[in-house]
Amino acid sequence: MATSTENIADTPDTAETDDYLTYVEGVGNIPRDIYKHVKSDPLGDLPRYSMHIVIQHFMTFVTFLILAATGLTLHFADLWWAPYIMSLFGGPDVARFIHRFAALLMVIASVYHVFTIGGGIIYSLMKKKFNFRRTQIPVLKDIQDITHDFKYFMGKVPHRPKMNKFMYKQKLHYFAIIWGTFVLITAGTTLLFPEFMSTIWPNPQFAQDLARLMHADEAIMAVTVIVFWHWSNVHLVPGRFPLQWSFITGKITREHQIEEHFLEYLYNIEEIPEEKEYIKKVLKEKGLSTD
Amino acid sequence: MKALPRASRLIALFCFSVFLLISFTFTPSYAADVGNCLLCHKYPGISRVDEEGKLRLFYVNESIFSNSVHAKVKCEGCHTDIKKIPHDVAKKVDCLVECHIIEPSSEKKFSHKDVKEFLGKSVHGPIDKEGKEKKYIEDYPTCKDCHDNPLYRPLSFFKKVRPGISEASLGRCRVCHKKEEFIYRFYNHVTTRLHKSRNPLNIAEVCARCHDNPEIVARHEMSTKAVFSYGETFHGKAARFLDERVPDCLDCHISKGESVHQMLPKEDPASSIHADNKGKICTNIDCHPSASPKLAKYSVHAEFNLKQSPAQYFFTVFFIILTGGTLLPLMFIILLDIIRRFFPNATIGRRK
Ligand code: HEC
Ligand code: HEC
Ligand code: HEC
Ligand code: HEC
Ligand code: HEC
Ligand code: HEC
Repeated sequence: MATSTENIADTPDTAETDDYLTYVEGVGNIPRDIYKHVKSDPLGDLPRYSMHIVIQHFMTFVTFLILAATGLTLHFADLWWAPYIMSLFGGPDVARFIHRFAALLMVIASVYHVFTIGGGIIYSLMKKKFNFRRTQIPVLKDIQDITHDFKYFMGKVPHRPKMNKFMYKQKLHYFAIIWGTFVLITAGTTLLFPEFMSTIWPNPQFAQDLARLMHADEAIMAVTVIVFWHWSNVHLVPGRFPLQWSFITGKITREHQIEEHFLEYLYNIEEIPEEKEYIKKVLKEKGLSTD
Repeated sequence: MKALPRASRLIALFCFSVFLLISFTFTPSYAADVGNCLLCHKYPGISRVDEEGKLRLFYVNESIFSNSVHAKVKCEGCHTDIKKIPHDVAKKVDCLVECHIIEPSSEKKFSHKDVKEFLGKSVHGPIDKEGKEKKYIEDYPTCKDCHDNPLYRPLSFFKKVRPGISEASLGRCRVCHKKEEFIYRFYNHVTTRLHKSRNPLNIAEVCARCHDNPEIVARHEMSTKAVFSYGETFHGKAARFLDERVPDCLDCHISKGESVHQMLPKEDPASSIHADNKGKICTNIDCHPSASPKLAKYSVHAEFNLKQSPAQYFFTVFFIILTGGTLLPLMFIILLDIIRRFFPNATIGRRK
């Protein structure tokens, strides 16, 4: 059975192959648009994030909003609204403390994340269960998925690509966050400890200048990406509106899993007996069952 | 508007003064107003449209004036040309006149002449070392370009140091000194000078008149619009919110213990911003005492334009492109996604 799913994942999704039906041993042929017929709990049915990831996301997003509010107020100090926001935070001295404390929490969240991911990889390697397809590691298939999705958006192919746990959008976003956090933390440290950091950087003057630029530019970029990209993706798109609960429950809805992460769903069927029974039942009701 | 002929203006003045004498009972004022100038000048409406068509207000607010550092100086001490009432159009005040006040430590008549000397030797002096007038002499600041009549800004030292007068400290002066006016005056006189009389933002605003004026910056071949570039750094940004703790123009441009009027150009080896001295600015005990001399290379006036610092300029451009370059394609995908979700059956071209 393990081999059957792996074969599916290996098959490149080209628009030409007619891959409407996916055969899974012990279940039968699963049609690509079965997600339109399954029942979903809005709070999520299938596991997606561990408790650690949920906590890390929480820490990151709360500190991010606080950091952006306090930091951009300082950056745009000469605009009319800045003094109001500043007093909202209890004045410049309090705001600067809040900014630094939130930054510390964000660093902790990042370190925590590195340990979770690192530990998770070591654990699954030792158990010989490591599967790079279920990670954020970018692969060639992501590019094929993009072109496939484009064709779907243009109406050239009837269905979206079968994608893994993390689709191309999420991988892009993940690496954007890694880059952004890295830039913000290094630049922020350079700004916060100018005396010490000037002894470390090869060209301290240049590093200071860059840090000042990068810290603000990267922050503005991060805010725009979060607002226009992340929030529209997870909250505004029809079907997801007004909110996906995954960030609290750590679970994804069945419908969403099948639509955007079909290959991960196949792993779910394999790993969760109840899910296997459920999908069999749906297929039977629809008269699609083969056994 | 055309100015009134001189004769009719004098008549107007005269009528006005007669009117005042008749209508108001005489109230003694408590500023050093021997010539009784405030008799007329205390009225908020007193004004005239001048030759250039600008409205000029001649109102003097007595309570503000008597709280200013010049409160003890008589009006005529500065407006020396006004000798009779009603008076003629007044001449400009010369800040360097000797006044009747005696400076107690030297017992000489007081004047600000020394300041002119300092200013003359500084980068802002209009005469160069050979005694010739510098080019564009009208760009060089005079006293009144940087100063108005400053108010006292006393400090309270009881338990905590904060702006304001400490009644508790005043009580101590009363033990020995008897005249209330004397106590208030000298309490203000001394404590006002124990901290800055203007905050960093006010100081920057003074300098901005010239140092943010692109023509003056270009004419004198300065590399930066200094106040603008100061505002781009965290020093300048913090100056908008924090108090005197933030370094202002003077903290960096004046060598410790010297008059603020002795600012020198960066080429001068005696100047605080000369390459050899810059490190000492940063390692000031109140700022970055443990900073390595490397920190002093930091460009406090960096403008990030193509000419001044191309590396930083291109870096900023890179970030703009990076932001646009990631965001726009991503937004495009979302847009397509949303359209598809709203119109699941729409196609471009034919579906097979
Ligand atoms: C009788 C009323 C009166 C008294 C007393 C008086 N002033 Fe005036 N002052 C005026 C009026 C009216 C004007 C506006 C004159 C005009 O229209 O040009 C004026 C204008 C001025 C101006 C501005 C002149 C200019 O054109 O720039 C100065 C400076 C001035 N007074 C100083 C003084 C001083 C110093 C004293 C005391 C020694 C004094 N004045 C006493 C009525 C008075
Ligand atoms: C420390 C010196 C000083 C003292 C004391 C002083 N003045 Fe002046 N006054 C000035 C200066 C400087 C100006 C600005 C105009 C100029 O450059 O002449 C001025 C301007 C004025 C003006 C005209 C404002 C304008 O727009 O031109 C009036 C009216 C005036 N003073 C009245 C008074 C009166 C009344 C008193 C006394 C209560 C007084 N001054 C005391 C220095 C002084
Ligand atoms: C380039 C601008 C500039 C010029 C020109 C200038 N000053 Fe100043 N002056 C300052 C600044 C800034 C201070 C710092 C005190 C403060 O915080 O206001 C100061 C301080 C002073 C003080 C000490 C004030 C105090 O209470 O401690 C005096 C007196 C003074 N200036 C007189 C003059 C005189 C007289 C002239 C003309 C010869 C003059 N200044 C020209 C900028 C200037
Ligand atoms: C213990 C008594 C005492 C106290 C308290 C005291 N003074 Fe004095 N003060 C003196 C004596 C005595 C002199 C004159 C002797 C001298 O010049 O040293 C003087 C001189 C001065 C002078 C110089 C006057 C001049 O013309 O030479 C000033 C200004 C002054 N005091 C202000 C103050 C202030 C402000 C306070 C309160 C913060 C204060 N003093 C508290 C006793 C005192
Ligand atoms: C943190 C210290 C600091 C502060 C605050 C500061 N400066 Fe400077 N300034 C410097 C140094 C150091 C230089 C020399 C720059 C160099 O070597 O390139 C300089 C250079 C300048 C120059 C000459 C620029 C040129 O190259 O021709 C001007 C003008 C100037 N500053 C004005 C100001 C003014 C006005 C302010 C207040 C708004 C101010 N500075 C605040 C440190 C400072
Ligand atoms: C009225 C106009 C004016 C004002 C106000 C003024 N400056 Fe200047 N400043 C000049 C001019 C003109 C020069 C160029 C002098 C030269 O190159 O001979 C100059 C030069 C300088 C320099 C030296 C630049 C160099 O080449 O190294 C410094 C530093 C400076 N100013 C600081 C200040 C500060 C700080 C203030 C505010 C307290 C101030 N200036 C206010 C006109 C002004």
